[in-house]
Amino acid sequence: MSATATKSKTPFTPEQEKELVAWTKRYPHSNMGLVEALRAVQDWHRRITEADAARVAEIFGLPFNRVWGVATFFPSFTQWQTGRKRVGLCHGLSCWLAGSDAAEKALRETLGVPEKTCTADGEFSWEAMECLGACEQAPALLVNDRLIGRADAAAIAALKKGKK
Amino acid sequence: MTKILTKHFDEPKLHELETYRRLDGYKGLAKALTMAPAEVTAEVLKSNLRGLGGAGFPTGAKWGTVPPVDKVPGPRYVVVNCDESEPGCFKDRVLVTRAPHQLIEGLLIAAHALGAKETYIFIRGEYQNQYDVLRRAIDEANAAGLTKHASIDLMRGAGAYISGLDTALLETMEGKKAWPRQPPPFPTVAGLMGKPTVVNNVETLSMLPFILREGGEAFAKIGSPKNGGTVVFSVSGHVRNPGIYEVPMGSTLRAVLAEAGGVREGHKLKCVIPGGTSMPPLMEKDLDLKLDFDQIRAAGTFLGAGGMIVLDETADAVDVAHNIERFLAHESCGQCTPCREGAVWTVEILERVMSGGGVSEDIPNLTRLGENVTGKTICALGDTVGMVSRAYLQRFPEDFKKRIPDGQKS
Repeated sequence: MSATATKSKTPFTPEQEKELVAWTKRYPHSNMGLVEALRAVQDWHRRITEADAARVAEIFGLPFNRVWGVATFFPSFTQWQTGRKRVGLCHGLSCWLAGSDAAEKALRETLGVPEKTCTADGEFSWEAMECLGACEQAPALLVNDRLIGRADAAAIAALKKGKK
Repeated sequence: MTKILTKHFDEPKLHELETYRRLDGYKGLAKALTMAPAEVTAEVLKSNLRGLGGAGFPTGAKWGTVPPVDKVPGPRYVVVNCDESEPGCFKDRVLVTRAPHQLIEGLLIAAHALGAKETYIFIRGEYQNQYDVLRRAIDEANAAGLTKHASIDLMRGAGAYISGLDTALLETMEGKKAWPRQPPPFPTVAGLMGKPTVVNNVETLSMLPFILREGGEAFAKIGSPKNGGTVVFSVSGHVRNPGIYEVPMGSTLRAVLAEAGGVREGHKLKCVIPGGTSMPPLMEKDLDLKLDFDQIRAAGTFLGAGGMIVLDETADAVDVAHNIERFLAHESCGQCTPCREGAVWTVEILERVMSGGGVSEDIPNLTRLGENVTGKTICALGDTVGMVSRAYLQRFPEDFKKRIPDGQKS
């Protein structure tokens, strides 16, 4: 699709529109706010669609493909719908040595969905992530912004029950 | 043992301005502000401080390449690289969490030395907790009038390892794909938005308060020749007490391992990755090697960012190399063909070996592939792709041969 989304068809709420505009003004050049703006979109919609990127491109005064290139480059941005709790399992070397394979099996079985797939109620999704910088607590999980160390089957079961 | 950055880490409220100040905090900045900018840079040169983000470039020398304001007028920036993402490294996370003001003081010293009125802390998006810690500390510093000469703002990344490379970090900050730039020009001449920019790591900048307070010579004296001060190792893997350990530059591998309690109970050391998974491993024969940016080179590896991963006899070199190459293939930005393709092919060969379908040609092919990537890409990620597979092949040929049905022939 091309950058034809008009303001009347914006996928964002008025408050979100305002926040996106604020990111164009935060730094010495408007483009410097783009990655932060896309982070906000990912938070709101739990993914970034072409319509989202087209509207961001309009707000930033950039071509659609310029913004879509960034939105599809960075691993934090997804085109698939993440769960409200987006679970990232570190499979860097230290986490792998400490049992990230077993944690992956536990995630798959406990949440009942394959990688990068949302549970039917929209609550959870899980995916492998690269080093989370928590090697001394391996294996590490990132649940949205929250780090959970020593993620064994019991910790993952507690996470599913909302107890962790 | 001498500690600089972690000296007061038993203070539970070190992250608060009041506590930090009680423990000599912001005295280095006060001293720096009484000095001319060039004098501050001279002190840093004298200290033999090296870039602790991995490159090991002398910090004072890097600063010296920034054109002076009277020659190149206009803004110049200092950017903190807090995009720690190298597997095995977590010291920046701990340093920021426990001592955010130590970093902020260092940043404000650097800003004075370089004439920067605006500074930025670029932090990986996964470190939201540390982002919040820094936000509060910056607010405290602003309220206390410590940032009159230079502002500090934050920006988060979006999950790409390559954003931790200085020029790719600047591209990310400019709202672009994190594709490394081909230097020259180097960032100190043309960096953020084309302006002179110094990108320094968290640990490097955190050393500055001590250097200004105690003097460059006192700092240099703590380390080894041309490697001033201390270094903070992140130690993990098959070790009794994983965690961060600060030791003087030039401490032996044996000493660092002892700090972390040694190899886990009942197991035998196989090798130690010294600086993050991109660095070839050290072997048992290297236990008395002195660890600094220069001396470690004798063992064919690098200090990197001090991400030390200990491996015992249960770790198989093929599996380890595969884990690292898989990471690199995922994180290759795709700009240079040898890296983009070479990393994927390396992973494919290693997976074939792991599945039992390896052929004897796989070993020379891995070596040749490594040679065809190393030195042929814009940034060092490509070098790493070629270096890691060859390093494990060279050090542990038996691990490879035993998993290839006709491997003994090669």
